Amino acid sequence: MLNCDQYLMPETLEEALAQWVGAPEGSRLLAGGTDILPWAREGRAGHMHLPAIIDISRVKELHGYDVVDGRVRLGANLVFQRFLTSESLRHHLPCMPHCAVWFADDQIREQATLVGNIVNASPAADGTPAIFAMNGTVEIARLDGGSVARRSVAIGDFITGPGGTTLEAGEILTAVACDSMAGYGGAFEKVGQRRSLVISVVCAVGLVKLSPDKKTFADVRLAMGGIGPVPIRLDAVEAFLKGQPVSRKSILAAVKTAGDLVRSRTRREYRSEVIRGFIERAVEDALADCGVALLPPEMKEAVHVVT
Amino acid sequence: MSSLDMELTVNGRAVKRPAKARMRLLDFLRDELNLTGTKEGCGAGECGTCSVFVDGKLVKSCLMPAAKANGATIETVEGLAKRGGLTYLQQAFHKTGASQCGYCIPGMVMAATGALRENPHAGLDEIKERLGGNICRCTGYSKIFEAVELARDVMNGALPVTALDGPGAGASYIGNNVRRLDAPSKVTGALKYAGDMVMPGMLHMQVLRSPVAHALIKSIDISEAEAMPGVECVITADDVPGEDGFGVFVHDQPIMARGRVRYVGEAIAAVAAVDVETAMAALGKIKVEYENLPAVFDAEAAMASGAPVLHDYAPDNIVKHIPIRKGDVEAGFADAELVVEQSYETQPVEHAYLEPEAGLAYVDHDGVVTVISPSQNITHHRHMLAKIIDRPINKVRFIMSPVGGGFGGKEDMIYQGMLALAAMKSGLPVRLVFTREESIISTAKRHPARITYKMGLKNDGRITAVEFRMISDGGAYGLSTEGVMRKAAILSCGPYDIANVKIDTHGVYTNNTPSGAFRTFGAMQAQFATESHLDICAGKLGLDPFEIRRVNMMRSGASTHTKQKLGSVSLGLALEAAEKASGWESGPSVARGGVRGDLGRAGNREPCTLGARIRTSHDVDTKEDIA
Repeated sequence: MLNCDQYLMPETLEEALAQWVGAPEGSRLLAGGTDILPWAREGRAGHMHLPAIIDISRVKELHGYDVVDGRVRLGANLVFQRFLTSESLRHHLPCMPHCAVWFADDQIREQATLVGNIVNASPAADGTPAIFAMNGTVEIARLDGGSVARRSVAIGDFITGPGGTTLEAGEILTAVACDSMAGYGGAFEKVGQRRSLVISVVCAVGLVKLSPDKKTFADVRLAMGGIGPVPIRLDAVEAFLKGQPVSRKSILAAVKTAGDLVRSRTRREYRSEVIRGFIERAVEDALADCGVALLPPEMKEAVHVVT
Repeated sequence: MSSLDMELTVNGRAVKRPAKARMRLLDFLRDELNLTGTKEGCGAGECGTCSVFVDGKLVKSCLMPAAKANGATIETVEGLAKRGGLTYLQQAFHKTGASQCGYCIPGMVMAATGALRENPHAGLDEIKERLGGNICRCTGYSKIFEAVELARDVMNGALPVTALDGPGAGASYIGNNVRRLDAPSKVTGALKYAGDMVMPGMLHMQVLRSPVAHALIKSIDISEAEAMPGVECVITADDVPGEDGFGVFVHDQPIMARGRVRYVGEAIAAVAAVDVETAMAALGKIKVEYENLPAVFDAEAAMASGAPVLHDYAPDNIVKHIPIRKGDVEAGFADAELVVEQSYETQPVEHAYLEPEAGLAYVDHDGVVTVISPSQNITHHRHMLAKIIDRPINKVRFIMSPVGGGFGGKEDMIYQGMLALAAMKSGLPVRLVFTREESIISTAKRHPARITYKMGLKNDGRITAVEFRMISDGGAYGLSTEGVMRKAAILSCGPYDIANVKIDTHGVYTNNTPSGAFRTFGAMQAQFATESHLDICAGKLGLDPFEIRRVNMMRSGASTHTKQKLGSVSLGLALEAAEKASGWESGPSVARGGVRGDLGRAGNREPCTLGARIRTSHDVDTKEDIA
């Protein structure tokens, strides 16, 4: 049971920051609330009685998104379902519909926010690797002598470990900004115990841009989650593929450059097997999203099994 | 504790009333507005029994603090159709038999309504995807999907409204689809399960459960909890007036731990208070002193000499051993051309019915102790409770509430006794609703089994002898273990005619969660071993898996190894039908691997893939929310 002395719903960022900085020790900030409610149950945190809950979901400044100078800025209240339902977001962030459809279910996606997913810093977060692959930064606000002060941090520097970030007391993560990937093909791979409502054991995001003649890789972005304390960007694989001809051979050669990526403490062998298949699949699915199908769909399961 | 002044619209009606800060939208709807069609199955967003529309968006109301719904427009299952009527979707659920236990059904109807609102032309893949957040344990989903497709076609005019009508009255119920009488109450959320029921002055129970697997209880101090304002009574094993003990076969389990606790999650004490929070707070004031005992968590280890003994009456920890002997097994093995030995293991399985255990008890005006609960065995419970509370049988009454899924898991009287004791002690009605976590930790599981199989065969596949030994972990109490061991022994060798058999099934006490009844009641574990073993043997002999079964199957007139004469046996027909329906490519299955010709045929079930709506790109945005 999640109980509190005060449930606050500020309507402006200033109000939210003031309430947050003044909140008694142990208070919590939430947007969607879909993570903390299950957390406050037996077997996890148990019954929680907090001094205050500050619910930012009615802060209008944190709603919606905009696209300026090739960067997409996603407000802290933007829920996962918008990556499926917004045509503009689908255009600029082609990997996100694939990520979203694997994230929880339609109903939870109407409440759960991308920023909440990032700020909780779970190693299994589905949203964070995608934002990492798109050169994401987080925007952070705090009150400084009555006015709002802001800073930005690259996502790779923001997340420090399971549940750990560089967010400081009194600060609120207000938005995430990332590259517009318009013109790329996107893909998201996830393995868990069921296809809806599962936490990733491993997840991978892929983005591919082709040369105008569609014969070579103009750009590739790859990131993975669930294989260590923080998500990782596959720089070596990305660099290898850039300029390579579009073929299964290139992809198989690229996979070999990945090296040993698993830093998880459990199921290491399983995860490293999954990773190789996932790199292949993420690139091939992103290619398919660009209209270049290397494999007919029915062959994918068979080919991506590691032998 | 702060409260919130809520003003919102629910099913078209303005609502203004305070909500407690701890309330989720689910609690506000159920406890404040008595809209109990919205169910709680897990409280963690996993099951979808609590789906409601908030400002037109389908959400899980267990994941939404009530405050978020302030000012919103809410639609629950009760508000979908005009009173007394059914929507097309609800009629379709009725028509196809999509509701069974019914507990997931309000949520399913809401999710299906949401799916067709979002995309009135959704295909099957998209329907499946949009219902992905809702779990059903009865139907296997097929009838639910069938209902959604039927409603979709009627709503789009592709089918006439008469397609929703029930089948005409046939001359016989046999061979005809008959619509369920209880479906309308389930698809509208009108049906009251035990956890939906309230009575004036009703108290709420919470249970203190053991954190240790095996210990002596040195003392229980309830004085502080009892003194708390709002607490009406605290009960322990000391409150049992009669002969304590329940179980389906052996009555070895006390209503609450009596001097000794045998598994993690066993009830130690229970509090009945004016509300759940007070009862929960009171649990924290109960002081229990344990003296840990050595525990045993493996059935084979529990059978070894020197193992910790759980129950004095069973110094060998054996709940039940069922031996069956037929023919001469040694001669059968000597006659064999191939002997294959292999062991098989199955895991404990939770029933995971969508309705967690719940019950309501009261003592009526005539002094009749009455318990309402989704018990699968009320008559037996009534007899056991009469002894336990030392009342004549006519002063004990059990009322069976709708069972929101049981699958055998609600055969055990694990909480009804506590409710009765608290109602007797407090003089007030008392209700207990398990959380999902509590249901998982404290109630019976399917017996995990370790089976050693030795089979002798001729080269043509004929079985000459079987030696079957099964060791099942019965957990801390007997429950249905004896019956499960009997059934496992009876069905151990499957539907095969074998001249020489030696069978031993053992149900064993350990300090694990008790095992109990679960669909198939012991047959599943045995069949898993038998059928796996036959496949392995067929592979070794180069035989077709259908062939080896035909060679050995019982035929009409056969006798089982427990000497039951079988008048007619339809196994041959079943094998033939399965072979035909699957398009089976004959030959030993080990020889071909991934190049079989009978995979991926029309009619085979496709694996589920997400993203139907991305592929069809229907989901066009009409509601951009650009900052």
